[in-house]
Amino acid sequence: MIPLIVVLIFSFFSVVATYLAVVERDLVNSAVFMALQGVCYALIHYTLMAPDIVVTYIPVSSGLLPILLLAVLRKTERYEK
Amino acid sequence: MEEVIIRTIEFVVLIYLASATLFIVRAVRGPTAFDRVLAVDALSYDLAVFMTILALYLGEPMIAVGAVILTLWIYSLDIYISKYVESESIGD
Amino acid sequence: MPVLTILGLALLVVGAFLELVGAVGVLRLHGFFNRVHAVTVSAIGGSVLPLLGISMLSLVFENLGVRRFYLAGMCLAAALLILVLAPAGAHALARAAYRSNEVAKDFTYDAIAEDRVGWD
Repeated sequence: MIPLIVVLIFSFFSVVATYLAVVERDLVNSAVFMALQGVCYALIHYTLMAPDIVVTYIPVSSGLLPILLLAVLRKTERYEK
Repeated sequence: MEEVIIRTIEFVVLIYLASATLFIVRAVRGPTAFDRVLAVDALSYDLAVFMTILALYLGEPMIAVGAVILTLWIYSLDIYISKYVESESIGD
Repeated sequence: MPVLTILGLALLVVGAFLELVGAVGVLRLHGFFNRVHAVTVSAIGGSVLPLLGISMLSLVFENLGVRRFYLAGMCLAAALLILVLAPAGAHALARAAYRSNEVAKDFTYDAIAEDRVGWD
């Protein structure tokens, strides 16, 4: 029963985080929302008994993807018109 | 004795889920980027404990690797954001 | 062995209470620097103590076999990492927030304001 509740709650919040990452004007906040969505997906993968996917998904989605976005933002502008 | 431990763990898991929900609400509502990063940070430390509790509750100790990895990579997110904002505000 | 069980359960319940207190503080307090304080309560009191408690409780479960020592060691490693990394990350964030212009700085007393002349 507990894994089902965890999957329901965190899949809902991952949808919210993905929507906010798309519509946000400040792109640093968008990077943080991408990290939040990655954490939610990692917990869903963990609850569905796939810890090997968690080991590769956490570095990619909450480590490498925000630092790539921030390295691009340092070359260009922070706020979207 | 193991029955008492299992019942306590089921109670504690609900408290940790409620705390994770409150952290996510602050991460969505936060006025500045620092509040969001702080909330995601606290959420990941919360979920590291949650993962090990779940590994003990489900009887699968080999899936507990995720706690250490989540802790280490979320710390790197703190450092990225603070270095970016600091270098931008000073003028680089 | 009952000593280990009782100590682990006590650490787990106290940690869950501190976690809930820290979460409510993060949601309800005003200003960024107050929230840093609440997150410190939630990270040290609510994550390090339950990890130590789980590493004691996992030694009690005899039917897990040898793998319970793996779970205990992993919990101990995660507790040590959080004990080092959570204050370091919070200090980096607070320093960046103090030096930027986005956060409202309504302090009653600012001890490092006179050192701040040569920064920008």
